[in-house]
Amino acid sequence: MKKLLLSSALIAASAGTAMAEIKVGILHSLSGTMAISETTLKDTMLMLIEQQNAKGGLLGEKLVPVVVDPASDWPLFAEKARELLTVHEVDVIFGNWTSVSRKSVLPVIEELNGLLFYPVQYEGEESSKNVFYTGAAPNQQAIPATDYYLEELGVEKFALLGTDYVYPRTTNKILEQYLKDSGIAADDIFVNYTPFGHSDWSKIVADVVALGEDGKKVGVISTINGDANIGFYKELAAAGVSADDIPVVAFSVGEEELAGLDTTNLVGHLAAWNYFQSADAEANTSFIDAWKDTMGAERVTNDPMEAHYIGFNMWVNAATAAGTTDVDAVRDAMYGQEFPNLTGGTAVMLPNHHLAKPVLIGEIQEDGQFDIISQTAEVPGDAWTDFLPESAVLKSDWKELGCGMFNTETNTCVQLKSNY
Amino acid sequence: MYRLLLVLCFFFAHPIFAQSLTEIVEKHQPNILKGSVKTAAPIIADIQAVGTEAATEFLTNWQDKALWFIKETGQIVSVVTDDKKTYQLIDIETGTLVTELAKKDIKQIKPNSGLRKMLGSALVTGKLLSPQKEIRLAGVDALIRDPKASHLDPLRVALEAEADIELKGIMDRAERQLTIQFDDLEVARVAAIESFSNDLSVEARGTLNPLLSNKIMLADLVPEDANIKGPITPGSEALTYEDAFDLLVAAEKATPVPTNAEIASILEANIENDTIAGFALADMSDADTRIKAYLALADAGKALAFDPNATIADLVADHEFIAVYVETSKAVTDAASNALDQINAKVGFSRFIDLALDGVSLASIYFLAAIGLAITFGVMRVINMAHGEFIMMGAYTGFVVQQIIPNYTVSIILAVPLAFAVTFAAGVAMERLVIRHLYHRPLETLLATFGISIALQQIAKNIFGTQARPLTAPGWLDGSLVINEVIQISWIRIAIFVLSLLFLLLLLFILNKTRLGLETRAVTQNPRMAASMGINPDRINMLTFGLGSGIAGIAGVAIGLYAKVTSELGADYIVQSFMTVVVGGVGNIWGTLAGATMIGFLQKGIEWFNPSNTLAAQTYMIIFIIIFIQFRPRGIIALKGRAAGD
Amino acid sequence: MTGPLTKFLLKYPSVLIFLGFLSLFTIFVTIGSEALGYGFISTSMVKILGKTLCFCLVAIAMDLVWGYCGILSLGHFAFFGLGGYMIGMWLMYARTEIIVTEALAQAALPPTPDEISAAVGTQIFGVVGGSEIPAIWSFAHLFWVQIAFVVLVPALLAFVFGWLAFRSRVTGVYLSILTQAMTLALALYLFQNDSGLRGNNGLSGLQNLPGLDDVDQSVISIWFFIASAFALGFGYLIVKLIVESRLGNVIEGIRDDEARVRFLGYNVEAYKLFIFVLTAIIAGIAGALYYPQAGIINPAEVAPIASIYLAVWVAIGGRGRIYGAVIGAAFVSLVSTYFTGGQAPDIPLGFATIKWVDWWTVLLGLSFVIVTLFAPKGIGGLVDLIAREKTK
Repeated sequence: MKKLLLSSALIAASAGTAMAEIKVGILHSLSGTMAISETTLKDTMLMLIEQQNAKGGLLGEKLVPVVVDPASDWPLFAEKARELLTVHEVDVIFGNWTSVSRKSVLPVIEELNGLLFYPVQYEGEESSKNVFYTGAAPNQQAIPATDYYLEELGVEKFALLGTDYVYPRTTNKILEQYLKDSGIAADDIFVNYTPFGHSDWSKIVADVVALGEDGKKVGVISTINGDANIGFYKELAAAGVSADDIPVVAFSVGEEELAGLDTTNLVGHLAAWNYFQSADAEANTSFIDAWKDTMGAERVTNDPMEAHYIGFNMWVNAATAAGTTDVDAVRDAMYGQEFPNLTGGTAVMLPNHHLAKPVLIGEIQEDGQFDIISQTAEVPGDAWTDFLPESAVLKSDWKELGCGMFNTETNTCVQLKSNY
Repeated sequence: MYRLLLVLCFFFAHPIFAQSLTEIVEKHQPNILKGSVKTAAPIIADIQAVGTEAATEFLTNWQDKALWFIKETGQIVSVVTDDKKTYQLIDIETGTLVTELAKKDIKQIKPNSGLRKMLGSALVTGKLLSPQKEIRLAGVDALIRDPKASHLDPLRVALEAEADIELKGIMDRAERQLTIQFDDLEVARVAAIESFSNDLSVEARGTLNPLLSNKIMLADLVPEDANIKGPITPGSEALTYEDAFDLLVAAEKATPVPTNAEIASILEANIENDTIAGFALADMSDADTRIKAYLALADAGKALAFDPNATIADLVADHEFIAVYVETSKAVTDAASNALDQINAKVGFSRFIDLALDGVSLASIYFLAAIGLAITFGVMRVINMAHGEFIMMGAYTGFVVQQIIPNYTVSIILAVPLAFAVTFAAGVAMERLVIRHLYHRPLETLLATFGISIALQQIAKNIFGTQARPLTAPGWLDGSLVINEVIQISWIRIAIFVLSLLFLLLLLFILNKTRLGLETRAVTQNPRMAASMGINPDRINMLTFGLGSGIAGIAGVAIGLYAKVTSELGADYIVQSFMTVVVGGVGNIWGTLAGATMIGFLQKGIEWFNPSNTLAAQTYMIIFIIIFIQFRPRGIIALKGRAAGD
Repeated sequence: MTGPLTKFLLKYPSVLIFLGFLSLFTIFVTIGSEALGYGFISTSMVKILGKTLCFCLVAIAMDLVWGYCGILSLGHFAFFGLGGYMIGMWLMYARTEIIVTEALAQAALPPTPDEISAAVGTQIFGVVGGSEIPAIWSFAHLFWVQIAFVVLVPALLAFVFGWLAFRSRVTGVYLSILTQAMTLALALYLFQNDSGLRGNNGLSGLQNLPGLDDVDQSVISIWFFIASAFALGFGYLIVKLIVESRLGNVIEGIRDDEARVRFLGYNVEAYKLFIFVLTAIIAGIAGALYYPQAGIINPAEVAPIASIYLAVWVAIGGRGRIYGAVIGAAFVSLVSTYFTGGQAPDIPLGFATIKWVDWWTVLLGLSFVIVTLFAPKGIGGLVDLIAREKTK
């Protein structure tokens, strides 16, 4: 046993010697429950790195991907992040999907001053000096979708259905407050949480249908995660709930998730994202073509892939501008970086480490794609929501204030590290 | 070219109208492209004012997403395409061909569903009088979705003229609904309300409930002629103390109590030389001192005074509150309240039945998942942790069959025996290679089969990927059996119920009436004695294990149909299945049935009491089972006598 | 010093050998660490090794309850996780309280205790959509109380569960399934946000010790490594003392034939309950040392699969011998780390490439089968063979 420990220690030690290449860490689960979503992002990163190398690499050097598998095991994310930063000495990490995995790596990244690009829509209420959030904050997805319900569809009664974890909990808390501020009574907001992978939806769907009994238009806002959606939509279809009667807008259902479903009975239900594969733009067409060439014609693209696309290109441009991949220099160069979205328009990196991106709402079509029926102008991402009193006073500005959790009432920085 | 078109349009435009459709559309072009409910009303009104057939056609096309615009000029046209490559652009006014363009030069106009509903509502009158039945039906549908007072008269005309019995029924119901909402005659409304008192539909309740909407007011402020519902005591569910107090404050009959934050900000504003109203700043870490300092400030006129000792309940105690209906007619509210009482009694009962059906359905799913275990674990006492993976293999077999045979009905009929064959073979192989050597070490079977379980799960991931795979039910299993508006159950669930019933009977038959069953029971109870009677225990064990595994495979097809097919499908059911068997009583098919029934109903029952948290239901259920087993360690149906011996 | 302990050690030299190995190993790692030595063992490797020692400790507990007492518990990771949660509550609360107090000290008015606890609540529970501190956090600010909970809470759960189960004579596979249900219920409970322990997110940032912001993680990791080694050595000694005592004879008797021991007049239930609670306590302590090194604890940690892995470690190492549990836990968890780390080279087969990330789990699963079938004594059985060779 001792010999084994010794040798693995030596392996770990010898791998630490730096080489004249720029290393890009990829921290996505390749096994376990999250592999379904994250493997795609690993492949996206490999494709982007390959494309960049074909263009001559970065700063005259070749980009080398370092792929590790945190296996959907949250403590393992912290372990692998430390390994990437100290043993492999990567210059940047692209990774994570779930919020809990991000919370797991935050202390490590901040301790070792690493740089993480996080590509998934999330619940906000966080700001780390070492993380760039290229996915949507609640005000870039949930709030515009709710506005769409209120203004366009005239929904008067809301069912907030979610999987029981942090993203739905926080998003729903924000939405509840937002709806109350918009004049919806507390009695007209129905909230339900189900476990991961929940499959018995009959009672919940019946409850939602029964919400219409006081004559108000009902709308469902779904933060149901992953596989559980399949059973949910199947039950919805079986109960004959049409999108015209009770629309469902989902924040975690994209092209990839619909691939596991027959969508003929779901036509007209909605999803809100910053990107849909069906977006009509030239950059998008060439991105999709490159993806299908690499991975196969049946593969689809989705929102977190676009986030990685923007994040990676911004990082490349920032490193080029800074002339180095040093984390502090790159971070300074990141502020104000602009890069074209795949949906047309331009994404801008803000001093709060979030992007300004347009919000798209799409209707599900028979072929499993989305018909984009609404596209806003670029919305700046907000780290701390304006709709909860304790967060409304907080502000994140790493450029001018140098603080991610600045209390604008007391004019003090609450803490420099992020909350985890 | 666009200019030329304009000239053409000019020639063709109808001379009587001040503005042609083309002009109006051009004027509103940006808002039509934007397609928002907020800006659509004047556009629709303007276009309807044109009154031509082309205008109606335009609105219909808009609703059906059949309008496009030319990217270069912004001109709005309707489009015909045969091959999805070239698109023939049709002028909206004249209906003539404008030009042909490729897809990249034009863009579809996509109104959202709110706008489509609005357009549908605007087109109702025309549709109701259409000679085609489908269009009239669509008209009534649109009307029910977005009822307007102006629809009432056209609907009555259409109802009078309608010949189709079914459609007439729908129209009649819609007419009564609209009467309740919009008619001026009290008698007509009351009659319509009463006609709904047997109707359990959500729409009926949706029409009646708004009539009873009321607001709570201070008794002094209620006007003379108000339609009063009754007095309300504060502190009840309908009116919390806080809300009651807010009403008082709004009526200026009480002064607001400052919140802690407000107190703090007033104190902060009055800091002088490290003191506040004579109290040391350092003492402000005590909440009581803060209130004292605040009251001192109030005495000095720098803040609004309040009584810190009075509770909010005391403050509202001296006032009366009354609920007042928004609807002014007492006859209407009385009728509505009567009708709703009748409906709600029936709805309550129906909901109970519906929940019971859900319980039956859940029980049958648990039973189906566990029934294979009832044989391998229950009868043979082999702990097969890979049982869940056999379920998964069955589901994937269904998926593969569907990839090869696209007809859903045929593929499902084929998938069931194939799934049985595949998992039967897997079960037999596992029995021969592994379990056979471990009959005398039951705990180690658990470990070995667990190893097989994680290996199978990973192999499935390697072959099929981690994505959920579709297993689609044939069309005749779509939708639900509707008993009434509240009691509905989807056909897939009924199919699962029937399937599990079939298995119950089949297994009972095999175990009790066939030679295999007899021999199985003999081998389980005393293998040596059975062997000396000429039974080959090896063969019997192999067949029995194969049977249990094969049934798991069929269960997999069924579960895949109603939920999802992933590599973790089996793992989701394994612990539950073991508990089903243990709770029911080992060694007995009836026990498994009892166990599944108990767990299914229990889970639904707990969900009923705590509807917003399904996870809690599962936790409490497991805790209940743990406690239950303490008192009936051998399960609900315990075997007696020698057969019960371990 | 010729006390009973010395006598015991002289009688069982294997204990001395083990403790010697463990000390040497600890010294070696300390010397090699980045913090206190030459730095050829990276901090991330120190953390992995420290966590492995905790696994070894819980595996010893598992061996005592299963290998010696015959109770195949498929729920001991519940106790491991509870230990982690108890220490985690203090770590989170104390660290957050320091941050919040510093921030509030800048306000115009000195904060009231209510304001501090409200701010702590917002900070800890804000990220999971709450803001109030649940009642179960009442003692979270008291270090010694939470330390006591590390022992008491797993002990209490084990006592209640064991008392109910053993009293009604649930044995064998039924007990295994019931323990599995216990850990599943705990996991489902913790998964709920309403449990007050931050639901799916669990407790995070545990590697940052309150008030020790200036101490580098490389130093903290060595502290925990040494503490884990000490706990493992101590746990080994205690378990060895137990199994070689009269008590040990009784529990091995229970394992082999429970009814006979009962007829001999022993209160079988009390013995089983004692062992069950004791091993739960050891597991709780192991968990309390493990999670500050892992940095995060969440409900997935106590899912049934974790406890099954625990049984597998002990089976592969060889149960009924304490060093077997240690070998099994260390071997399987380290090899797993190596193969899932993406560092093992792929094997090209011409038509397809075998990726270890994909196939390692399959191999692991099949190795359980092979060990159970052909080497029921596990790796420890090899030691027997060697020992027999020598005595020949």
